[in-house]
Amino acid sequence: MKTFKYIWRNIRRNPIRSLLTILSVGFSLALMTVLYGFLASQETWKNGAAQANRIVVMNIQGFSGKLPISSVDDVRSTKSVAAAVPFAWFGGSYQDEQMPFAQFATDPEYVFNVWPEYSIPPEQLEAFKTNRQGCVLDRRIAERRGWKVGDRVPLKGAIYPFDLDLEISGIFDSPKNTDSLYFHWDYLNEGLKQQSYPNIDNAGTIFARISSSDSIPTVIKSIDDKFGSSDTPTRSQTEAAFAQMFVDMLGNVQVLIRNIGLAVVFSLSLVTANSMAMAMRERVTEIAVLKAIGFPRSRVLFMVLGEACAIAMLGGFLGVGMGCLFLQGMNSLMPQFFPFTVLEMLGPWISYGLIAAAVLGLISGIVPAIRAAQMSVIDGLRRLA
Amino acid sequence: MSNSNAGETVVVVRDVCKEFHREKLTIPVLSGINLQLSEGDYLALMGPSGSGKTTLLNLIAGLDRPTSGDVVVCGQNLGQSSEGELAKWRSRHVGFIFQMYNLIPVLTAYENVELPLTLTSLSRRQRDDHVKAALEVVGLQDRMDHYPRQLSGGQEQRVAIARAIVTDPTLLVADEPTGDLDARSATEILELMHRLNTEFRKTIVMVTHDPNAADRARRILHLEKGLLVSEVVESRTKKAVQ
Ligand SMILES: Nc1ncnc2c1ncn2[C@@H]1O[C@H](COP(=O)(O)OP(=O)(O)OP(=O)(O)O)[C@@H](O)[C@H]1O
Ligand SMILES: [Mg+2]
Repeated sequence: MKTFKYIWRNIRRNPIRSLLTILSVGFSLALMTVLYGFLASQETWKNGAAQANRIVVMNIQGFSGKLPISSVDDVRSTKSVAAAVPFAWFGGSYQDEQMPFAQFATDPEYVFNVWPEYSIPPEQLEAFKTNRQGCVLDRRIAERRGWKVGDRVPLKGAIYPFDLDLEISGIFDSPKNTDSLYFHWDYLNEGLKQQSYPNIDNAGTIFARISSSDSIPTVIKSIDDKFGSSDTPTRSQTEAAFAQMFVDMLGNVQVLIRNIGLAVVFSLSLVTANSMAMAMRERVTEIAVLKAIGFPRSRVLFMVLGEACAIAMLGGFLGVGMGCLFLQGMNSLMPQFFPFTVLEMLGPWISYGLIAAAVLGLISGIVPAIRAAQMSVIDGLRRLA
Repeated sequence: MSNSNAGETVVVVRDVCKEFHREKLTIPVLSGINLQLSEGDYLALMGPSGSGKTTLLNLIAGLDRPTSGDVVVCGQNLGQSSEGELAKWRSRHVGFIFQMYNLIPVLTAYENVELPLTLTSLSRRQRDDHVKAALEVVGLQDRMDHYPRQLSGGQEQRVAIARAIVTDPTLLVADEPTGDLDARSATEILELMHRLNTEFRKTIVMVTHDPNAADRARRILHLEKGLLVSEVVESRTKKAVQ
């Protein structure tokens, strides 16, 4: 216990230098936490998707390809498919906001069968089904904007030459923030017809829930076989693979982020090592006195290493804390980019930041610590004599 | 603080030579030193700068090992001990007093004195008793919560002495303990050391340039270019007159 007190006093001996070191570790690890938070959110999404027995059907050419609305029925009639809905990205803007939240044109009749984990009061769902301009949205959106059932949500088309005038029929709860609004696919399609839009009757993508995970490969195969010879051949995949596809679109960003993390740790270790070396140089005589009194090498080593680690860990907690606060803040301000709360993506990713801090402390402290432990007592004492 | 077996031999220095090696240069510092101290002895080492006083003191205190010859202190042959063994041995048998006091600036007087005890297996309570007793001997129990920078030079040196005696070592080594003090504080320190020698029967080796300081010792040795040149043994009567 005594040793820890001494280490703490040594840290406070030159408070400005310690504080600057802690802050530099803190800010860099905050940055690392934010970057890793981004990786973590992708991981979380992928893992969440892997648990749902859902598949995504899209045109083999990707999002640009068409998927006729009649295919939804074909998917529904496939063996082991429990429910299926069209799912088209509207991407409209709300007032001045370019990307307020996600909006999907879908089938109100079945959308909550495809996502049974979402819950909505039955009367609200009924209202949604019967109101052609009705919509339902994630409770988090409603809370953020102070919207309630009955409010109107005008959305200006960005991809489509048609503006939506929606009325909130219901508010649903979901285990994770979806940041989504669902409205009638028919409403959009009718509107596009009136505008003589060329690409009508397009389901966009089809989301389907499969009754058991064992049959997913068979279902995927039979759907793709069914459409293989049509005008619109399809590519079906699990929701997890679909999520992975988005992750892959970012290419090597993952590797890049990881390497940035490593570079940050490395350059920081130089900063902290320098500050430790400076601290030790000032304390040569003091360490010699400790050793004269009989402090064994191991204890001197432990004290110096402990000081370096304590500084790095203080910076680590500060940095991870700041990073988490930032992510949490982004989550509430811009959930479309940061769809997960810090709690949802905590786990290993946060501990990477703290592990990095501990490694940093060890790397930066080890050389000064060994030098202090090896230092000759008589040479150290001669310094001042 | 125990003081049994009066007269037992504490320090034996036999045919000791010491050389330093710096970049292929051999610097001979001590040659053929012989010396013996019994428990309760008080030796003053004098001599010009560079004559090897500190070097000899370091050998006796187990901070360094002789190039040849034997240094046996408190039954331990220091020349044949490993560094780890020496560290352990020092913590049990030697108390250090330096010219620059060398207190740890971030620790209070109390904590500085407690420092050597943290190497022992004493309980917190026992440590507390020892620290307070040591501070009482040097008359600074009312200053125990002060940091070194809040103390005068003389007070700092007294704290350093408390730190040196807190483990009740057999041997005290002091390298110019009054070298940085004004006359009054120096006298206080010398009186304190005299008390430690007479009342607590500590064996003391003190390096000093100050003849007045040396006069307090029971024996005075002069070093000249690494050789012991003369020895003065104080008479008890002279001490008594003081
Ligand atoms: N670690 C060392 N490395 C090299 N040379 C040393 C070392 N220690 C002492 N010396 C040399 O040994 C000689 C004696 O040094 P020492 O410190 O014992 O002298 P001293 O009598 O204590 O002098 P002073 O009165 O100035 O303290 C000096 O010439 C010094 O340069
Ligand atoms: Mg000297």
